[in-house]
Amino acid sequence: MAVRANPDLIDELQHFGAKDAIKCYQCGNCSAACSHSEDPYVFPRKSMRYLQMGLEKPLRSALDPWLCYYCGKCSEQCPRGAEPGETMMGVRRWLTSQYDFTGISRLLYRSWGSELAAIIVVALLTGAGFLSFGLLGGGGNLAVYDGPGAFLPPHAIHVFDWTMGALLGLLLSINCLRMWQFTMHGEHAVPVPFSLYVRHLLLLPLHFFTQKRFRHCEDKTPWTNHLILMFSYLTMLTLIMVFLKEMQSGPKVNWYAHSFGYLSAIGLVATSIFAIRGRLKKDAAYHRHSHESDWMFLGLLLFVSITGIIQHVLHRAGLPMAANITYIVHLMGVVPMLALEVPFSKWSHLAYRPLAIYFAQLQQAAQAQGIRPSGRLAKLNPVA
Amino acid sequence: MAEERIGVYVCNCGTNISKVVDVDAVAGSAMQIPGVAIARSYKYMCSNPGQEMILKDIQDNGLTRVVVASCSPRMHEPTFRGAIKRAGLNPYLLEMANIREQCSWIHDDAAAATEKAKALVHAAVQRVKFNEPLESRSAPMCPSTLVIGGGVTGLTAALELADAGQQVFLVEKQDHLGGNVARLDLTAPYLDSAQDILHSWISRVWSHPNIRVFMNAELTALTGFNGNFKPRLRTEDGESLELDAGSVLVCTGYKEFDASRIAQYGYGRLPDVITSFELEAMLRNGTLQTRAGKQPRYVSIIHCVGSRSKEFHPYCSRVCCTAGLKYAFEVKSALPAAHVANLYSDMESFGKGCEDFYRKASEARTSFMMFDKDELPVIREAAPGDGCNLLITLKEQLSGEEMEMPADLVVLMVSMEPREDAARLARLVNISSDKDGWFIESHPKLDPVATTTDGVYIAGACQFPRDIPESVMQGRAAVARILAKVAQGRIAIDAVYSEVQDKLCSGCRTCFSMCPYGAVEYLADKHKSHIISAVCKACGCCAAACPAGAIKVRHFTDEQIYGQIEGVL
Repeated sequence: MAVRANPDLIDELQHFGAKDAIKCYQCGNCSAACSHSEDPYVFPRKSMRYLQMGLEKPLRSALDPWLCYYCGKCSEQCPRGAEPGETMMGVRRWLTSQYDFTGISRLLYRSWGSELAAIIVVALLTGAGFLSFGLLGGGGNLAVYDGPGAFLPPHAIHVFDWTMGALLGLLLSINCLRMWQFTMHGEHAVPVPFSLYVRHLLLLPLHFFTQKRFRHCEDKTPWTNHLILMFSYLTMLTLIMVFLKEMQSGPKVNWYAHSFGYLSAIGLVATSIFAIRGRLKKDAAYHRHSHESDWMFLGLLLFVSITGIIQHVLHRAGLPMAANITYIVHLMGVVPMLALEVPFSKWSHLAYRPLAIYFAQLQQAAQAQGIRPSGRLAKLNPVA
Repeated sequence: MAEERIGVYVCNCGTNISKVVDVDAVAGSAMQIPGVAIARSYKYMCSNPGQEMILKDIQDNGLTRVVVASCSPRMHEPTFRGAIKRAGLNPYLLEMANIREQCSWIHDDAAAATEKAKALVHAAVQRVKFNEPLESRSAPMCPSTLVIGGGVTGLTAALELADAGQQVFLVEKQDHLGGNVARLDLTAPYLDSAQDILHSWISRVWSHPNIRVFMNAELTALTGFNGNFKPRLRTEDGESLELDAGSVLVCTGYKEFDASRIAQYGYGRLPDVITSFELEAMLRNGTLQTRAGKQPRYVSIIHCVGSRSKEFHPYCSRVCCTAGLKYAFEVKSALPAAHVANLYSDMESFGKGCEDFYRKASEARTSFMMFDKDELPVIREAAPGDGCNLLITLKEQLSGEEMEMPADLVVLMVSMEPREDAARLARLVNISSDKDGWFIESHPKLDPVATTTDGVYIAGACQFPRDIPESVMQGRAAVARILAKVAQGRIAIDAVYSEVQDKLCSGCRTCFSMCPYGAVEYLADKHKSHIISAVCKACGCCAAACPAGAIKVRHFTDEQIYGQIEGVL
């Protein structure tokens, strides 16, 4: 069976930032320049071709886009000025929207108005929610920041953040399951036995924490930045989810908890400023194009980092009311950032990338065992 | 004959000959042949000192004949004929022995090659003894030209000749001038209107005092020869008319491939599968729509329809890539929301300014799908729910995917092929066609518009698929050939031709059927065959076939051939 082409696909992807795939004439310079591209994951060339051909299904089942870290080497080499690196970025955004079963992701990516509105609505709801909770259900006194009677007591916040974490985790898990369905049961996929899933399971944490593939890109700076950002983020997340009481204690500095907080804050502020500066100056191929979602992501990240710091400083400075107000403003950034981006947007790649590496490895391992595709491709090219 | 004094000149050709053949031994052996007065070897016989040496020997030693043992006569026979002519000898008293192409270049064994060279020189000496002095002649010619075909090539040529003050008879089979170009809308690469290009030419042709146009007319016979043809036409009124023309220019162009021959494209069966010419008509009329009168949302352009195919035409039609890219660009300009796809197996938008169309078409966001020319796409009707009229299935080469594309309108870039009456015309004017039916030129590089029949020229797309600029160039090139002849006023007749010896000829006309050039005519009153020397190429077929041995080929007489054979043995 032939795959039905959807000629509108290439126009659809334009909304996701893949703007110039049409320019490609398949010379393959991009794939030759890429240190990650190798058979059977020949990218960006193949993804570019699927886009041109409107082959929606094969593109949706591709793992290639997640194996690219966007070092921008391909975009520098393209003789047609097609910026394949940015196309891969656009395809990743589109894939995120495809994995998302709610349709929210597509809405946010396609229209920056909706994204902005969603952030504002969630922020206002968060602000109103925590303010009313603080006044009615919490400490009731905006002038108390820590200890008994705190306006936003850590245990109450924990109930909220663990609930939100569970909910977002559930949404992301469903999306990951859909990713598995698309990629591991796609056009070119071979059926992978369960034993292989177990045998290679360690790949997931390995690639999640080290991102060691990223290191193979010629330019090492993005890898370093990315690693600093991720560890700062994870540290901060751990501090909030587990050590919120220590974090909110004071006004004396709790060096056991706060020193980690300071390091992460520095990491988050520095890397987000670095990225914003790079995108403004367009200093590298991977900074040349910025989708609205990139600005939202960086803006929110910087906003929550700075409000977090200010809140902390105000508390130490003996200004509990100002600290509480800043705390709520801080949460008005944190909640939309996580709620919108973890399952529906940029942050989801923390899960998709290691999964893609894991799945690609499983595919290769299964093929090495002599397992052949069982889908459409098997009917096309029967093995004698 | 005993008093002939023959000079033999053995060329070293640098080392081309001397590195294998012992040239001094060849010269020494030649000295032994009776009648040879002098034999020398020299580094380059064709050089000025070499020629001077021959010239001086003729004058000082009273040589009466000359043999040059060197390269192929195709290379330097005119050189040495010129040299001995300057010394006062008749140029036909020269004989050449080819000891390079037929000896040193093809043999490794030096001793054997030297023996062979000696034998070839001996043959030439034995032949040259029988050579006769011959004189070239010339005949008066008629300056007018018959131009067959009123397309862009014929129009150009007719105007060019007429502007040079020569009479032109322009014969067009159809009821309009302009040929296939008149069916086009805009032309690549600069999108000039075909109508604009043709309009000024056609009106000038009609009003030109030196051009007589015959519409709906056909050539029915061509007699006579170079400089003095007698073309016979069937005119519009059905009358038969004989003209006088010194030259004939054939520019009958091409016709398009019948797309219904490729069953899987469904042309003729599926109404929205059209040919490039039908799209041109749509673009000209401004009605770019499907048969149902709707604006197409998906337009596919299939390239190489009939071209580069094992089954149909092996050759490339050369203009369709550019034309197809032009269509992609035009359709996208007219219907910006439409998806335009080029389905191709090879893409070569050659020619000045034509590559721009590839760029323009891709900048206009049209897509390119590659198929294998041995595995053509299949077009079928779509189901009501498919949202399109047609579905095209193809195995796309760059991705390896078998895909199904929606289409509302499919344009087939039909190949060019010879016109159906090309073979008949070739017989009438006595020119040859290649295996695909295109007329053959005299030499693909050095003589591209002449044919093997003197005075008959070919230009434009009757010779091979050509675009407009090339057709115009060829038309003008043919005109240059014709005007050069007209400027001389007379046509030269080669001294070498066949002659019928009347007293031996029985009038059996065997020679008539043998002659590939139509040079034999039958003199009914005398019951004898007669060879028109201006047409004869001295191939010798008639002489070999004549049962009475009545035909003598000048410069290839029996004595000369037998002498050569004896010499080589």
